[in-house]
Amino acid sequence: MQASRARLFKEYKEVQREKTADPDIQLVCDDSNIFKWTALIKGPSETPFEGGVFQLAFAVPEQYPLQPPQVRFLTKIFHPNVHFKTGEICLDILKNAWSPAWTLQSVCRAIIALMAHPEPDSPLNCDSGNLLRSGDTRGYQSMARMYTRLAAMPKKVRSVELLQVWHGTTIQPSNMLS
Amino acid sequence: MEDYSSGDDDDYVYSDRDSLDGLENEEWVPPKGSSTKVITRESLLAAQKEDLRRVMELLSLGEHHARTLLIHSRWDVEKLLAVLVEKGKPSLFSEAGVTVNEGADSSLPSSSSVMCDICMEEVSGDKATRMACGHCFCKDCWTEHFIVKINEGQSKRIRCMAHKCYAICDEAVVRNLVSKRHPDLAEKFDRFLLESYIEDNKMVKWCPSTPHCGNAIRVEEDEFCEVECTCGLQFCFSCLSETHSPCSCLMWELWIKKCRDESETVNWITVHTKPCPKCHKPVEKNGGCNLVSCICGQAFCWLCGGATGREHTWSSIAGHSCGRYVENGEQKTERAKRDLYRYMHYHNRYKAHTDSFKLESKLRETILEKVSISEERESRLRDFSWVTNGLYRLFRSRRVLSYSYPFAFYMFGEELFKDEMTMDERELKQLLFEDQQQQLEGNVEKLSKFLEEPFDQYPDDKVMDIRMQVINLSVITDNLCKKMYECIENDLLGCLQLGTHNIAPYKSKGIERASELSACWSNKSNTTDKYQPLECGTSGGTSENERPSGSGSSDDSGCFSRKRAKKDGFGPSFFDLNLPAEGIDRN
Ligand SMILES: [Zn+2]
Ligand SMILES: [Zn+2]
Ligand SMILES: [Zn+2]
Ligand SMILES: [Zn+2]
Ligand SMILES: [Zn+2]
Ligand SMILES: [Zn+2]
Ligand SMILES: [Zn+2]
Repeated sequence: MQASRARLFKEYKEVQREKTADPDIQLVCDDSNIFKWTALIKGPSETPFEGGVFQLAFAVPEQYPLQPPQVRFLTKIFHPNVHFKTGEICLDILKNAWSPAWTLQSVCRAIIALMAHPEPDSPLNCDSGNLLRSGDTRGYQSMARMYTRLAAMPKKVRSVELLQVWHGTTIQPSNMLS
Repeated sequence: MEDYSSGDDDDYVYSDRDSLDGLENEEWVPPKGSSTKVITRESLLAAQKEDLRRVMELLSLGEHHARTLLIHSRWDVEKLLAVLVEKGKPSLFSEAGVTVNEGADSSLPSSSSVMCDICMEEVSGDKATRMACGHCFCKDCWTEHFIVKINEGQSKRIRCMAHKCYAICDEAVVRNLVSKRHPDLAEKFDRFLLESYIEDNKMVKWCPSTPHCGNAIRVEEDEFCEVECTCGLQFCFSCLSETHSPCSCLMWELWIKKCRDESETVNWITVHTKPCPKCHKPVEKNGGCNLVSCICGQAFCWLCGGATGREHTWSSIAGHSCGRYVENGEQKTERAKRDLYRYMHYHNRYKAHTDSFKLESKLRETILEKVSISEERESRLRDFSWVTNGLYRLFRSRRVLSYSYPFAFYMFGEELFKDEMTMDERELKQLLFEDQQQQLEGNVEKLSKFLEEPFDQYPDDKVMDIRMQVINLSVITDNLCKKMYECIENDLLGCLQLGTHNIAPYKSKGIERASELSACWSNKSNTTDKYQPLECGTSGGTSENERPSGSGSSDDSGCFSRKRAKKDGFGPSFFDLNLPAEGIDRN
């Protein structure tokens, strides 16, 4: 227990220092509970998640880092390895491939990597997995992009995008905003 | 027949004697060739060491590496060596998580300092441990990691903490670090390692006796066999239930379940009886008429269950005019009835033979009584081994006979092999099998009858006659059993395409009793020398050294002398499994 607390505190300090170093990840510790963390991660570029900001919730066990933290998406995401309703993530390092050498920060990086490289063969979201497995990459991407816009983008942009989705127009959000 | 009254029969009789003695005497001498071994709590360490030693010598490895390899290959030395030849040492080692690192030293100079990536603390060298894979973390973190893993039941394969490192942690390091904080957990760790020899080994299984006798049985080559533990329990090694040959394990499992549920009987009752609308007792329909009457006097319609006199009149019932007759329902009834009769046919015979077996086992006492009475008598007949031999043959073939019924039930039924045979084929095979079964049955009954004769009250010539009959029938039943197994193997199961139904082979001499493994101990006693206690420092460094017995590196020799001295005092009572392996060495 003491060990996990000490380790999390180290990570906390590390995060403060690295804040500027990794612009894609923003890890925040709960004010009152060091075992509860949230993270904001940027959707990787050249993926349907580009431009989105996704919120993750961490529940850290007392055996940490010997046992992995529980992580789930708070932001809706259309991805084969994320449960659409619960946000649960299917990622080996969060299960049997966990190593105590991982940190919350590196877990975030692994999740960003998973967003860019989905594993359609172990899907938590079957619709998404099936699209990819059937080779319908465009179908997958448009669905994923739609949800990114719906759930992971600031409100203003979202409403514009919604219009775009509904009317099938090709107006660029930047044009609309300017 | 003539032969048996002349001297020749004695040869036969004696040839079977060895196995028969087992029935009489408590002290049963295992036949020299007994390949099944009983592993007691005490000899488990020795058993494990036998295999460890082979791998250690063949690959010039330390014990913990040999153990890691053997756990990886489920204690199958042959398979391990095959993989070694096929894939080569580096591939095998990396798959199993063995890192043999020459010259690596797990201790670091205290002057140096190490950054532990787990707790993110800077610690001095003496507070850190480097594993053979090269990864170094602080001792506290290692210890915590081991404790978590042991508690998770993963003693046998504790991996390094580094990301993507699949190396298995050196058991000596684990033992050493854990025992400093939780000695009891270190014990648990050792017991898990030791019991891995049973738990992960497909050729070794715990004896299923309750209460547990503490033994495990190791078989050689064929895991589909029946064995007898030294505690006296006979069991099927493959499924651990009672012996059931010539049924396969699956057949037996299904049969037991069927007998337990008696589902068909229940089925039959629901199909064949209906509750009386007045008193609600089940009423069975007898005869074709659909007007049934209950013992309470109430008459009702079989088809809808309604009491007559309300919806129905006598005449309408006779004409089935209620319209509830369903063709399908009738078919179902017929089928259920047919299935039940079939089951009952086999079950009755199975039951009759198991009952006879129980009865004959009880009779054994009285029959042996007759033998001792006869032996006392003034007579030219002295040798009554034919009685015990005959009894033994009776028990053997009676068992085969009783289990041949569930076998036939599934062999010729539709549950397991429906698509494997055409109807004609099935019928032909069934005739073939049943012919053999009937022959066996007839001879077994005859044998039983002769053995039950009050021969102790008969004159010599009549006893001689019975003796001849018994000897003759013993040979016949033995041969018939053999033939039946041949038929099963060649003509019945041998032809099947699907499914594996392995049958424990028939052995004239009965189920082999496992012999004590301890016999091997004395001539292979030097295996203890291979057992390196923690302090000998086998971790990493010395593993590449050749290690024939008695020529260990200099720091090993100290261990030898200590161990030898201890072993002498210890005698053949071996180790206490309840002590950690390390503790045993220090005892
Ligand atoms: Zn540490
Ligand atoms: Zn490692
Ligand atoms: Zn036993
Ligand atoms: Zn079995
Ligand atoms: Zn009634
Ligand atoms: Zn009716
Ligand atoms: Zn009717």
